Amino acid sequence: MMTLTGITGPWFATRGRHGAAAALAALSGALLLSSCANLDVPDTNSPTQGVLTETPTRQTLARTAVGIQTQVSIDIPAQIQQWGIYGRELYNLLGNDPRETGEEISGPQDPGGRAGAEWANKYAAIRSINTYLTALPKGGLSDAEVSASQGFANTLKAWHLHMLAVRSGPTGMPIDVDRPIDAEPAPLVSSQEAMEAASALMDEALTQLNAGGGEFPFNFVEGFEGFDTPATFAQFNRALAAKMLVHRATFYGCTECWTQAATAIAASFITEAGLPGSLKTGVYYGFTSTANETANPVTETLESNRYWIHPSIISGAQLRPGGQPDLRLTTKVALAPAPRTLNGLTGTYKPVMYNDPSDPTVPDLDANIPWLTNEELLLLRAEIRWNTGDKAGAIADINLVRVNAGGLAPTLLTAASTDDAFITELLYNRTYSLMWTQGTRWVDARRYNRLNTLPLDRQGDVVHPNMLIPSAECDARGLDVPCSISGG
Amino acid sequence: MRRNRLILAIAVALAFPQLARAQTREITGTVTVAGGTVPIAGSTISAEGTTAETRSSNEGRFRITVPAGPVTLIARAIGYKRGIQVVSGTQTTADFALERDVLQIEGVVVTGTATTIDRRSATTAVAQVSGDAITDVPAPTIQNALVGRVSGVNLQSNSGAPGGGIQMQVRGNNTILGSFDPLYVVDGVLYSNSRIASGRGSISDAAFATAEDDAVDRVADINPENIESIEIMKGAAASSLYGSRAANGVVIIKTKRGQLGAPRVNVRQVFGQFDISKTLDSRRFTLQEATDKYGPDVAHWFDNNANPYFNHFDQLYDNHTLSYETAMDVSGGAGNTRYFVGGTWKHDGGIEPNTGFGRQNLRVNVDQSVNSKMDVQVSTEFNRAQHDRGWNNNCNNFACQGYAFAYTPGFVNLKARDQNGNFLQPDWGIQSNPLQTAELARNHEETNRFTGGVTLNYDALNTGRNSLKFVGAAGIDAFGQNNNLWSPNELFFEAVQTQPGAAVEGNASSRVWNWNLNAIHNFIPSGGGWSANTSVGTQYVEEYLDYSRITTTDLIPGQQNVGQGTSTIGTDTLKKSRTLAFYGQEEVRLLSDKLLLQAGVRAERTSNNGDIDKYYLFPKVSGSYRLLNLIGTGSEIKPRIAYGETGNLPIFGQKFTLLNTPQLSNLTGFTVAGASGNAAVEPERVKELEVGVDGLAMDGRLTWELTGFTRNTTNLLLQRVPAPSTGYATQVFNGGKIENQGFEAVLGVTPIQRGNNLVWISRATFTQYTSKVKDLAGLPPFRPPLSGFGGLGVTFIEVGEPLTQIIGRDFCNPNVPASCASDGVRTATDVKVGNSAPNYRMGFVNELTFKAMHLNVVLDYQNGGDIINLTQFLYDDAANSADYGSKDWEYRMKGYNGGVITPYIEDATFLKLREVSLGVTVPHRFLGPANTVIKSARVSLTGRNLVSWQKYSGLDPEVANLGSAAIRNNLDVAAYPPSRSFFLDFSLGF
Repeated sequence: MMTLTGITGPWFATRGRHGAAAALAALSGALLLSSCANLDVPDTNSPTQGVLTETPTRQTLARTAVGIQTQVSIDIPAQIQQWGIYGRELYNLLGNDPRETGEEISGPQDPGGRAGAEWANKYAAIRSINTYLTALPKGGLSDAEVSASQGFANTLKAWHLHMLAVRSGPTGMPIDVDRPIDAEPAPLVSSQEAMEAASALMDEALTQLNAGGGEFPFNFVEGFEGFDTPATFAQFNRALAAKMLVHRATFYGCTECWTQAATAIAASFITEAGLPGSLKTGVYYGFTSTANETANPVTETLESNRYWIHPSIISGAQLRPGGQPDLRLTTKVALAPAPRTLNGLTGTYKPVMYNDPSDPTVPDLDANIPWLTNEELLLLRAEIRWNTGDKAGAIADINLVRVNAGGLAPTLLTAASTDDAFITELLYNRTYSLMWTQGTRWVDARRYNRLNTLPLDRQGDVVHPNMLIPSAECDARGLDVPCSISGG
Repeated sequence: MRRNRLILAIAVALAFPQLARAQTREITGTVTVAGGTVPIAGSTISAEGTTAETRSSNEGRFRITVPAGPVTLIARAIGYKRGIQVVSGTQTTADFALERDVLQIEGVVVTGTATTIDRRSATTAVAQVSGDAITDVPAPTIQNALVGRVSGVNLQSNSGAPGGGIQMQVRGNNTILGSFDPLYVVDGVLYSNSRIASGRGSISDAAFATAEDDAVDRVADINPENIESIEIMKGAAASSLYGSRAANGVVIIKTKRGQLGAPRVNVRQVFGQFDISKTLDSRRFTLQEATDKYGPDVAHWFDNNANPYFNHFDQLYDNHTLSYETAMDVSGGAGNTRYFVGGTWKHDGGIEPNTGFGRQNLRVNVDQSVNSKMDVQVSTEFNRAQHDRGWNNNCNNFACQGYAFAYTPGFVNLKARDQNGNFLQPDWGIQSNPLQTAELARNHEETNRFTGGVTLNYDALNTGRNSLKFVGAAGIDAFGQNNNLWSPNELFFEAVQTQPGAAVEGNASSRVWNWNLNAIHNFIPSGGGWSANTSVGTQYVEEYLDYSRITTTDLIPGQQNVGQGTSTIGTDTLKKSRTLAFYGQEEVRLLSDKLLLQAGVRAERTSNNGDIDKYYLFPKVSGSYRLLNLIGTGSEIKPRIAYGETGNLPIFGQKFTLLNTPQLSNLTGFTVAGASGNAAVEPERVKELEVGVDGLAMDGRLTWELTGFTRNTTNLLLQRVPAPSTGYATQVFNGGKIENQGFEAVLGVTPIQRGNNLVWISRATFTQYTSKVKDLAGLPPFRPPLSGFGGLGVTFIEVGEPLTQIIGRDFCNPNVPASCASDGVRTATDVKVGNSAPNYRMGFVNELTFKAMHLNVVLDYQNGGDIINLTQFLYDDAANSADYGSKDWEYRMKGYNGGVITPYIEDATFLKLREVSLGVTVPHRFLGPANTVIKSARVSLTGRNLVSWQKYSGLDPEVANLGSAAIRNNLDVAAYPPSRSFFLDFSLGF
């Protein structure tokens, strides 16, 4: 730009050949100047990845830690709905998407459809975590802070990998995904191998948290209250580790996992003190109604046509001593003003567990969704104890939940009961304690090969045994759709 | 290294011409119009075989210094055929009488930033339009004025809304994700054609956020009144020196400049108005049918009339605001200074109440000679535009007129008001009255723009054999656009919203700054016979565009400020790029000027590229040969061939991977965004081969230009879906190939020429091209951005098919039972059902001059192309079609019910009477005593878009709901209706 003014001086002042020479000099000067023109134009509309990968600071790392926290909850509404439909916890009878009463209940599954988002979202979260982990040592944090941050990030990464393995089952999945976008896609491994890798990473994260000093160098969003120091977050790490080990024991017959799970859960935040209030102690997925933030996506009015309790949940509830149904049902459902039937499916009750507790007709956009609470830990410990020989302890744990959460009488199980009877009792309690939080009915039925116990409403309905690898993942690998570890 | 070598090359080029001056002499003379004594000012007089050149004065006089001995002088002037005279060594005067160049044989063609070549030798097809042709019939924008007049260019308006919104496509589509606009250059200044959406879609709840806002393309700011000429560089060989902005052609606009002499004043006053050209009817309801469908509440519409029926288009689009244009310019020059000052005040009234278009321009062009070797040209324009484009196109809450009409039964009198003067509360199913919307809602746009440039010419050397010239130019084009929309709470469609009342405040700021420096060396050896022209240069371009928008809803009733709503969102986007280029060109004329060879290359680096230090090369090579007197004396036939490459820049931001900034608990986090940038992204590359044969015969009364081209665009900007396990959803990359092949023709004839008393000139243009996707670099077929509406016919990119193919669901073929599902619908969903590109287009321009009378007619014909009539779809959806219950209706409903789009896909063939003007030049003697003051006077009656003969059942087949899509889809979703305009035009010259 400045070059023009550089020319005008000699150009005006001279004539003839001198002018030509001066102009030549000026032109050459202009070329020299312009050839070093700075063409580096940044994108200022949004932070670029470079602020994290190239010049990380304490602040950018802290923000990324927050971003990673927000990414754990992206899929949970889809998981509640989709796994809930698979596991017959609920129907979606809104009628705007034929898949809700078709594909998801009667199949066949479309690898190009619903399989995509929750797979992609989890790997996107893993990409953020990997980018964060790479940047951590460069951000000027103390060794303890780096270690604490690594422990935090690896805990969430291990959980994402584990949940991907849960959804995928026999198709397998990639785990070695920290590679450039242009590289060969990470190889598919079996979900069993993926879960083993996730468990190992969870243990590594514990070591890192233990070396992490007294505080994290970042803030926590809603939902982590009480678990926001390296020491308390380690308890959450152990709780997740225990759950993952129980999954491995039941999905893949990992017998040593039971004892490892026993060790892990003992180091978690499980407690028998303060019941029933302490049932709710734990970590939550945070939602708020604040502008630009994400509100609870599943809460709705009783008039909404969207979510309906599966009738088997209503009819299957046990009765309290007074003859009323299980408290875990009565506090979580409400009779709709009118029933709704769509495509042969009828809903009568609406879920209200995320509505205002004082007035279940009012949606509560600020309601958090449980991630892992003491209530589930007690049930996990029951499961672990039964399988590690402490059957009396297992029955005691079951009863802590039955009585405190359900208002029910203690179970009739004894240490002499069959494994089958125990599993039935366990799954009953898991279904009613955890319904509407994670699609537990579907996962539990898969863990114990009880998919055939889930109720089918219509001729031709099926229960899907797993979710498919999305077609985009197969396409990028040149595999036929649907693909799996055993080929395309 | 590369830079140093380039500088060295320039130094050599500059050092070369240092040769001794030969002995010289002077020749003087005059240039006049043939058959009279009217002088021609500003004509160029040059001596053949030398570099000597001069210009004639306002009185037509010239003085030229030439080498001793006999020379051939050539006089050229825009609008006239050249004159040639051999002047003996002793002769010191030469006078020229030039004939009018009715078929545009003459003129110069731009070949580079600072180089031109005479049209007769041009190695590529040329599309030039003179300023006179552009202003013959008042046009809202220059693009409207070009329709029908140029070949190789497809100009289609996106809607009938006042004041612009036209897609200009040169030789077809070249890109899927890149820019699809030609590059506009006004007096050497790069001119932004950004389309900045108004934000209307956020109020009308349109499906594609801002893409359905019917945005004005900002070349609408250019004032047709001040244009001297428009030249369109179509092929890559013509435009390659503009590099990676030239893939879609370059439009070079020159404005008028002053001539030496006494001040000349031209005044033009135009009055006229716009009328709707076509309306749609709707279903006729009986009372029974009405109450069955809309309930008993609508019975009152039948109270005083058993068969009420109102055409709502007639009710709404009956605005006849006076349209006018006042233009005045003063030009002249004395001594070393020439000037042109022009001002225009224009207003077009829209047919929808409270819509319209206004533009005010002030142009000042000054040419100053500093000394005999140096002159400075300054070109400036200030421009202000107002657009009120109303409420049309797609919407989802009946905030738009045509859309609401589809759902408004004909028995409703929309004009009806209650005793308080308010429109009646709608009782016909939808909550909207378009008359109320037009009366109360505001969609206003205001733009202020400055465009200015300076060019310095310096003749460093002129020896008769050698000339060396330096040209430096710099310019800026800057505008600010403000959009102000208000949808008051009391509007029927607002009142039913959960947050009634909406306001939008949008602001955009654009700046394009460029400079270039050029050295041009001309060499003619002493023996003559050949000549060489060498030019080198450098160019720097900086573009800046920032647009922000504040949208609010839940307004306090009566308030219109975006600060008075409770639910407010703001967005802001900044795009910026810098480009640096070097270029060089060699032009050699051989065999006594008959053979012309050209070669050039541009080396360019740009901030939008992944590698900002890498120079991309855009070469060109071309040649032409003139065969003289082959078919009669004076005839010329010129075969030509040209090959060139241009580019299309990556879009700003494609190289960056961004971080998302999710918020929770009042904390803002960073996460890696799903769209991965590509740090290696490159420009798309257009490679084009063009061959042609031009000619003139019969004393210049017959001319033709035939051109065939084949153009391959490679290295396309495409978007792939990487393995989702990478954590990314999309990534832009370069690959694939699109082919465009086409044929263009221009034929000019002068069937009648009896002196200047009776002349009939006829020109026809023909444009045909087809595109084909050759390769998608392994991508599966896909829908490009803004492809259309789901199952309602969408553009679909597929190898082996045209870029413009439309896919959708079709009826099955009864002869192929396997293709049929039980409901008679084809099982496959994605089948080709149409092609939005026309088969070909033709334009016919006829000018008839009889003594003082002048008649000009422009016809524009499009053959083929498919249009998707979603307006009809809406009427059918509302059971409100005019042909409800007919056979045609039954056929469409079969498609409607089966999700089959074919009944709504129609042939877009049309023939439009674009321009008619009938004028009289008032003979000087009729001016009476005023004739000492008034030099010329003219009165004409003109019309634009007077008649359209079309196959299309809708309003206008020339419409695009998603006009900002790179691949134009003729999608009619209740667009602003087309209109015709009539003007009475008075011109006076002083």
